[in-house]
Amino acid sequence: MKKYINKITLFLLFAAITTACTVEEFSDLNGPEVNGFENGIAPGDLQDLVGGIFYSSRVSLGTYFDDVGVIGREYYRFASSDPRFTSDLLGRENAVLDNNTFYITNPWAGRYRTVKNANLILGFLENPETISQFTTAQLNATKGFLKTFIAYELLLNLNLTDENGIRIDVADETNIGPFVSKTAALAGIRSKLEEAAVDLAAGGSSFPFSLTAGFSGFDTPSSFLKFNKALTARVAAYQGNFPDVITNLNQSFLELNGNLNTGVSYVFSLDQTDIANPMFFALNSSTAGARITQPNFVSDAEAGDTRLNKVVLRNEPLTLDGLTGAYDVFIYQSNIDPIPIIRNEELILLYAEANIFSNPGAAVTALNIIRNSAGLAPYAGGMDQASLIQEMLKQRRYSLYAEGHRWIDIRRYNLLNTLPIDRVGDDVFSKFPIPLTENQ
Amino acid sequence: MSLFLLLLFPVVLLAQSTINGKITAEGTGETVPFANVIEKGTSNGTTTDIDGNYSIQVSKLPVTLVISSLGYATTEVQATSTAPLNVIVAVSAQALEEVVISGLASSIKRSNAANAVSSISSAQLTGTTPPPTLDGALYGKFPGAVINANSGAPGGGLSVKLRGATSIQGNTQPLYIIDGIYIDNSSIAVGLNAVSAAAAGGSASNQDNPSNRIADINPEDIETMEILKGASAAAMYGSRAAAGVIIITTKKGKSGETKFNFSQSTGWTEVIELLGVRDYNEQRVLDSFGPEAVQEFIAARNEGRLIDYEKELFGNKGFLTNTNFSMSGGGDKTRFYTGVTHNNEEGIVENTGYEKTSLRLNLDHNATDFLKFALSSNYIYSSSDRGFFNNDNTGTTMGVSLTSTTPWLQLFPNASGVFPDNPAGSSNILQTRELVKNNEKVNRIIMGGSANLFLFRTDNSSLELILRGGLDFYNQQSIALFPKELQFQKPSNGGLNGVSVQGTTQNKNYNLSSFLVHNFTTSSNLNFRTQVGLTNEFFDRNSFLVTASGLIASESNVDQAANTGVDQFRFKQEDSGFLVQEEVNYQDKFIATLGLRGDKSSNNGDANDLNYYPKGSLAVNINNLGFWNSNTKWNQFKVRAAYGEAGNFPPPAALFTSYNSFTSGGVLGLSLIGVRGDTNIKSERSKEFETGIDVSFFNNRLSFSGTYYIKKVEDLILNAALEPSTGFNSQFVNAGNLENKGIELSLDAIPVSTTNFQWTTGVNFFKNESEITKLDVPAFNVGGFGATLGTFRIEEGQSATQIVGIGPNPGPNGFQVYGDAEPDFIMGFSNNLKYKDLELSFLWQWKQGGDNINLTALLTDLSGTSHDFDTIDLDPNGVLGNGPYRISQLGASAEVFVEDASYLRLRELGLYYNIPQRFVSTILNGSIDNIKFGFSGTNLINIFDYNSYDPEVSNFGGNGIFTGVEVTPFPSSKRYLFHVSVNF
Repeated sequence: MKKYINKITLFLLFAAITTACTVEEFSDLNGPEVNGFENGIAPGDLQDLVGGIFYSSRVSLGTYFDDVGVIGREYYRFASSDPRFTSDLLGRENAVLDNNTFYITNPWAGRYRTVKNANLILGFLENPETISQFTTAQLNATKGFLKTFIAYELLLNLNLTDENGIRIDVADETNIGPFVSKTAALAGIRSKLEEAAVDLAAGGSSFPFSLTAGFSGFDTPSSFLKFNKALTARVAAYQGNFPDVITNLNQSFLELNGNLNTGVSYVFSLDQTDIANPMFFALNSSTAGARITQPNFVSDAEAGDTRLNKVVLRNEPLTLDGLTGAYDVFIYQSNIDPIPIIRNEELILLYAEANIFSNPGAAVTALNIIRNSAGLAPYAGGMDQASLIQEMLKQRRYSLYAEGHRWIDIRRYNLLNTLPIDRVGDDVFSKFPIPLTENQ
Repeated sequence: MSLFLLLLFPVVLLAQSTINGKITAEGTGETVPFANVIEKGTSNGTTTDIDGNYSIQVSKLPVTLVISSLGYATTEVQATSTAPLNVIVAVSAQALEEVVISGLASSIKRSNAANAVSSISSAQLTGTTPPPTLDGALYGKFPGAVINANSGAPGGGLSVKLRGATSIQGNTQPLYIIDGIYIDNSSIAVGLNAVSAAAAGGSASNQDNPSNRIADINPEDIETMEILKGASAAAMYGSRAAAGVIIITTKKGKSGETKFNFSQSTGWTEVIELLGVRDYNEQRVLDSFGPEAVQEFIAARNEGRLIDYEKELFGNKGFLTNTNFSMSGGGDKTRFYTGVTHNNEEGIVENTGYEKTSLRLNLDHNATDFLKFALSSNYIYSSSDRGFFNNDNTGTTMGVSLTSTTPWLQLFPNASGVFPDNPAGSSNILQTRELVKNNEKVNRIIMGGSANLFLFRTDNSSLELILRGGLDFYNQQSIALFPKELQFQKPSNGGLNGVSVQGTTQNKNYNLSSFLVHNFTTSSNLNFRTQVGLTNEFFDRNSFLVTASGLIASESNVDQAANTGVDQFRFKQEDSGFLVQEEVNYQDKFIATLGLRGDKSSNNGDANDLNYYPKGSLAVNINNLGFWNSNTKWNQFKVRAAYGEAGNFPPPAALFTSYNSFTSGGVLGLSLIGVRGDTNIKSERSKEFETGIDVSFFNNRLSFSGTYYIKKVEDLILNAALEPSTGFNSQFVNAGNLENKGIELSLDAIPVSTTNFQWTTGVNFFKNESEITKLDVPAFNVGGFGATLGTFRIEEGQSATQIVGIGPNPGPNGFQVYGDAEPDFIMGFSNNLKYKDLELSFLWQWKQGGDNINLTALLTDLSGTSHDFDTIDLDPNGVLGNGPYRISQLGASAEVFVEDASYLRLRELGLYYNIPQRFVSTILNGSIDNIKFGFSGTNLINIFDYNSYDPEVSNFGGNGIFTGVEVTPFPSSKRYLFHVSVNF
């Protein structure tokens, strides 16, 4: 009896001790918390944080290209498990672009995620603890890099919503700025790029972090500045400000006789925490997942255009949802090929475009560089603006096929009504709605 | 439960006389095991053994004994001597004298309970037919629950929701406690998403559809289940109890002769129904598949090789076996129950199946008559092969690829076993079925112990100390293997050259608690029971998921691969709390309870902040107030009311705003997860008021119980949409209130009870309506694939489970309302008929209303393979076939995707024959007590007007309230079983 009482008393004591303890508080056991960086970041942290920019800039990138490529009637995106690629994007019958469906919500959120990742780093850079760990040049270079990326990501979203506009000022998530018009958005993106250019110019000789292989040749502040200027030239073209296009092209990596593929790219790998090239499908893929060339791309091409090697004749044509095509889009040879962000071929075409309005001769020279590279004879058409614009758009269509340009180019020149309609009742949309959850 | 009984009615030290006897049932003469025998007016009592014998020591004679047992009327007899006293008790419909949980360390007679606590006995659970899983045995057996199978895949995957919506995005599943041990009921993803990319499209939710871990529990081990449906009954379980608590008590040993039971069930399972194949002809093939397909179609038709691939895939008759052996016995001091069960079940798809082995040992030891110990231990091994189904974005799951598989395709392997590629899709379903492995293996140990010590005990008061501890530990290993031979894994088809995803999870929960229970009865028979307690719970999980692609040779090891990635998920939580409760019982006339629980948890914004959960209840037994004379037909007329509060934790991620790590071409980086956490997030709080009446007549042969409840959930934790331009898609906020109102009715009767024929019957009815009463964030869509296809929408003033979509007549919010997942009502109707040695029982369940979002038909339409593609009954103009009509609605209206998911099912049917005693007694010298043969079935009759395999389905698994979205699921099945059972 006594023995039991003693044992029980001991047990009781043990029980009381364990239960009376305070409860342990755990931090996030599965990933670093944002507020872990708010007291300043070290160079190693900066590398990790910047690495996240490369990552998130590629999230839902395939959807972005499909949005632009399908509406721009460059190709059909077949996905038997998701009918909306062939209904909503092509405006089949009554279908319209929905404001709460993945084709707008996912790429939109992906781009703003990158903007937020970058804005957070810009915030961490203001911390005195951080400042003490880096040189001024290093801080400037980092800011220039981040602001360039912010501007580029914003531009991609504006490309989707166009006249519906975007938010520019989103640094404070508790007090985000308003939606601004397309004009104001382009101006905002321009000025972000120009701020970045100032920072990069004062950025010393190297970045305090390493960049992906996609930035090979553009991985110092001064060479990265050329990438910044190339983007600025594209934005200026979208603004219709052609003198500025030329000014910026001159400071970019434009080389009229250089390699057309020189430029900056997204890179991919099969590493499990990486992303594979989303624009790759094997040849002769089934309706489960395929990109099928819109037939006019082949039929409209000039004889001998070597750029038709971007599409490959299938063993059998593929049909889904009333759409049929015989050619696979086959720009990337594997699921780890890089996808260009901007490259010399586009710069040459921007140079041609800008010169149409000031120096048509120079425009034709540039266009012929492109034509020759595609195995075509020099341009023999009219030298009037309309003819040159038509030729320039055509060269852009083939040179930049499925790289996210056609829909935007044709829209810039108010020519959406010239795009082919593949099924009775299909519509060509000019812009995506603002995502529902923006509460506009 | 019997543990409690032993504690509540301990043997008095000063006992002088011993009374023995046997308790038998009126009419049948069957013995009544485990009946309570109590010396009236005292806490002295005992229970009968398995043969109905009892032995009680009393301090003086004469004495009145009160005999009570589940399913029988309470009977009082007077003992004047120590001569054997045999008692015959009458059968009653309502288990009035059964005890139900009233606190963590106390229980109460059902006739005094102020809550509508439902109990399910072992006979109800497994008596009619052995259920495939524990939660699958609950259908139709009590009012107040919506139970939904997420998938027909073997090995479970069910959700149980008590009294409507408890939470929008938090936990909605009840807490399971077995013998005082907190049981983990997680569903752990096996990583199919690496191949299916299901989460890549519109939804970020896991669509792997893994099984839930309550499926491990062996139903054969269970003595009773008590269901505390809401906060008013479950408040003492505090911060985990908002969704209700299911208390499970396993079988205990009985002293006396060692008893053995062996039972074997064997049978088969088959699909409930197949949808069928589209009625193809040349024109239809031409329209949907083009001219080349017509040639193939004609050739195949002429050669007689048009194949019904749906039947090929789902037509397997799965073999089922269930073997159970148990043993029970012991002496006065120590008793044991031990059981071993082995289940082996094949699925309706070849290469799917479920295997489980469960071992149990329960020990009870009386060290002295004031000190008792109990041990409950269980080892479980389970292994489920669940196939590759549900949504995907790669056209690889068997379900999605079946939608584009036409009868003229040739998918069978050649003589050397090589499967051809499916020219019409990215996978060959027959090859996928043969080669893909999706297996979960669990090794689990559940152990619990308790010690009860009477610190003092006098005639009218006692003080008892109860200590309890429990451990639930398991290791789950999963493998999802996609060999490189698969069509969609071949690099030439853009595949990854083989994927192997292996996961391992270690989960350890343990809980400790100690209670003091003080009992005090005044001379006017006013009883006070006071309990105070401390509780402590710990939860620790660590999961790894290794995804390897580019497999080398035929290796499945994740290191034998070109690319390997690892995900780790850790979860830790520590809760600590106290409770005080006072129960007052005035002569069984007025029974009142007041209680308070305080809880702190590492999962709250402030870990050491105490959250308080009060409760209070009152029951009045009007029949005991003396209005009726003793000859009345009214056996009970009780009115009751109860109020209680309980909590629901925020998901662990809700506290943090975090990054995840990724690489980009070899450069490591941190990117935001996209969910903004809130360090100050509060638990959800459920406040429930329930009131009801319980009446019974005619010696309790007819009884009725009715309950009305209002359950309000405050501080709803919402993963609310945030403007994506902030960089976050959503944020966790406490931003709303929700209200459920419902009624639960049950009627039980014994219309006939004669020596040769007994009929018991019961009906239960449940209706719930929910409303979002407050929403501090803008209304948002959730839980589907976007408004085009139909989605749930959280909106103030609307039902929490409304389904909206785009449509021609949108409301002011831009959406048209098409339905509600909430059923109009759910009914269960059970019957048990016994004629001599023959016993027939059956259970119907009827779910009326409640809508699903059915996308399976749309996917088959897009591929031109729907069984009703050419039937014209949807188009209001009567022009388009159903297939073209549904396609024409895509992007214009979601109406056609929202379907009524009502059903009426014969859930359970059992027919058993007991070999008459006079034959049994001649076998083996009479050493066999009982032999039983039988046949039983599950889901034998299913009536529904729903355009798919089964209206019971959930693409997104069981948690959250957004079940009922269907994307090419694993079809559900019916079961036929033959039984033999021997007691000896």
